Amino acid sequence: MIQTDNLTFHYKKKEHTFSFPNIALKELENLLILGKSGIGKTTFLHLLAGLLTPSNGKIRIGNVNINSLSNNNLDAFRGQNIGLVFQKNHAVQSLSVFDNLQARLFFSKKTIPLTEINELLKQLDIYDCKNKKVNELSEGQLQRLNIALSVIHNPKVILADEPTSSLDDDNCNIVIQLLKKQAEKTKANLIVITHDQRIKSFFQNSITL
Amino acid sequence: MNTWKIGIQNLKFKPLYTFLSVFILSLSIALLLGVQQLKMSFQYQMDNNLGEIDMVIGAKGSPLQLVLASVLHLDNPTGNILYKEAKEIGKNPMIKLAVPISYGDNFKGYRIVGTTQEFTAFYKAELQRGHFVKKTMEVVLGNLVSKKLNLNIGDTFLSSHGFVENDINIHHEEFTVVGILKPTQKVIDRLILTNLESVWDVHHHEEEEDHVTHHHKNEEHTKEITSLLLNFRNPSALLTLPRKINKQTNMQAVLPKYELDKLYEYTGVGFETISWIAYLILIISGMTIFISLYKMTKERAFDLALLRTYGASNFQLIKMVAYEGLTIGFFAFIVGFLLAKTGLYIMFTRFVKNRYLLSTLQELSYNDVLQTGSLIFVLVISSILLATYPIVKMNISTILSNEK
Repeated sequence: MIQTDNLTFHYKKKEHTFSFPNIALKELENLLILGKSGIGKTTFLHLLAGLLTPSNGKIRIGNVNINSLSNNNLDAFRGQNIGLVFQKNHAVQSLSVFDNLQARLFFSKKTIPLTEINELLKQLDIYDCKNKKVNELSEGQLQRLNIALSVIHNPKVILADEPTSSLDDDNCNIVIQLLKKQAEKTKANLIVITHDQRIKSFFQNSITL
Repeated sequence: MNTWKIGIQNLKFKPLYTFLSVFILSLSIALLLGVQQLKMSFQYQMDNNLGEIDMVIGAKGSPLQLVLASVLHLDNPTGNILYKEAKEIGKNPMIKLAVPISYGDNFKGYRIVGTTQEFTAFYKAELQRGHFVKKTMEVVLGNLVSKKLNLNIGDTFLSSHGFVENDINIHHEEFTVVGILKPTQKVIDRLILTNLESVWDVHHHEEEEDHVTHHHKNEEHTKEITSLLLNFRNPSALLTLPRKINKQTNMQAVLPKYELDKLYEYTGVGFETISWIAYLILIISGMTIFISLYKMTKERAFDLALLRTYGASNFQLIKMVAYEGLTIGFFAFIVGFLLAKTGLYIMFTRFVKNRYLLSTLQELSYNDVLQTGSLIFVLVISSILLATYPIVKMNISTILSNEK
């Protein structure tokens, strides 16, 4: 469950203030946020993830007002409750696929049984490259690893920033369905931010910035 | 999985980088330790070879030469003095110990010193085997001499004249080994001791055949020695005795400690310079660590930002980079330590080819190693602190949205 209240963010460098619409998602509800480039989509997502501090307004995830948390508590809260998927896929270069997931769990202070990790890797069809280093993966495998990384710790909210913009139609469908499926499985809210009109049909709720 | 393991994985991920960092740092550590060890060994030799010799009396000439010849047994003596006159000085009540020494010969480069049994008292040298010299032509060997020349009690040898080994000027009298001293790490280890009479006899004999050599005369009142080594009963003798002797006799009195301190001041400059160069190299390698860690945190900014979104705190990321730096420092120290050990050994055995120097090499004390170790530690820690500064200032949002 996530809700925002009169969020604004002021960019000092650009002397520009973004205002964002209020959102309120109940359990299992998903949201698509559409908008053109430069309209502040990523800023909104980073605010929701606690990576940026809003100039005004409040964000509540579960029962926690994340803007009232200290830096360390915010780090911990983010690690435990939020899963992020980025436009460009990235994972820690020096670690293998499996170690990336282990590191992810270590920093969010969660323990997940090995069978569940393997299960997730199988679902995403990257079990075979479990011990490969990140730079040995194909683009598709890397994308699926990123989805795994964003859900492995059973977050409350999954935030995806343009997850499909560089994909063809088939892969676009696959990725959105994977994200929805994983969100459903972990009972998380899925919020996707995109300018990609193709995925509109997958979501019941959508807003345009 | 923990920060430590991720740090190690990061090091393994760039093996060449890691290897070079370790290598450069270890070289400078080796250099620093090596210079320290050489310096310490040199100082130890200087300090200990004096034994308890407070003053030397010898023929007029260069004071330093007298000290080098009669105390360190390195140079040629300045000349001879009359035994009778030297004995008179030894009677002074301020003097506790007065030991005459007389030179002339060597055996395979090791000097044969004619002296009395009291000579060993200067170095607190004790017998390992056998007995002290009782008769003419008997010798007691310093420990190193017996080892290097493989001589044992009962063995005999012919000495050659002068201080350099040669086959031309060989005397015909045979010396017999009757005793071997325990090792002392002092100059006495490389000397062959006999009594004064043996030296006089050998050269008296020599003179009958060849009149060019030393002017020893066997008559009691003209007997000569090379120098007289003294130990004072009372330190105030340091002030009065040398002046008195230098003024009133045709001999010179020299305080070896004073002369060696002067010498050390000159050579010390060299060691000082090398030390500074070693420290400079250390600073440069410290900077190398800093640069590689800094570069690493910059290059891996996205990785680090990603870890922050996983819930890692700033502190955990700094810890991770610190583990990497400390691992490099630790291995560099081990490698550097081993390099210094083997390096000096190889240098002395292969290039300098001076066994005696090798035997004088002092082991660095635990404290010295610890001191250098903590210096490296401080250096690594400060490199880490500087290099991790970007982590503290990291703006996750900016890094993640400027995706490459």
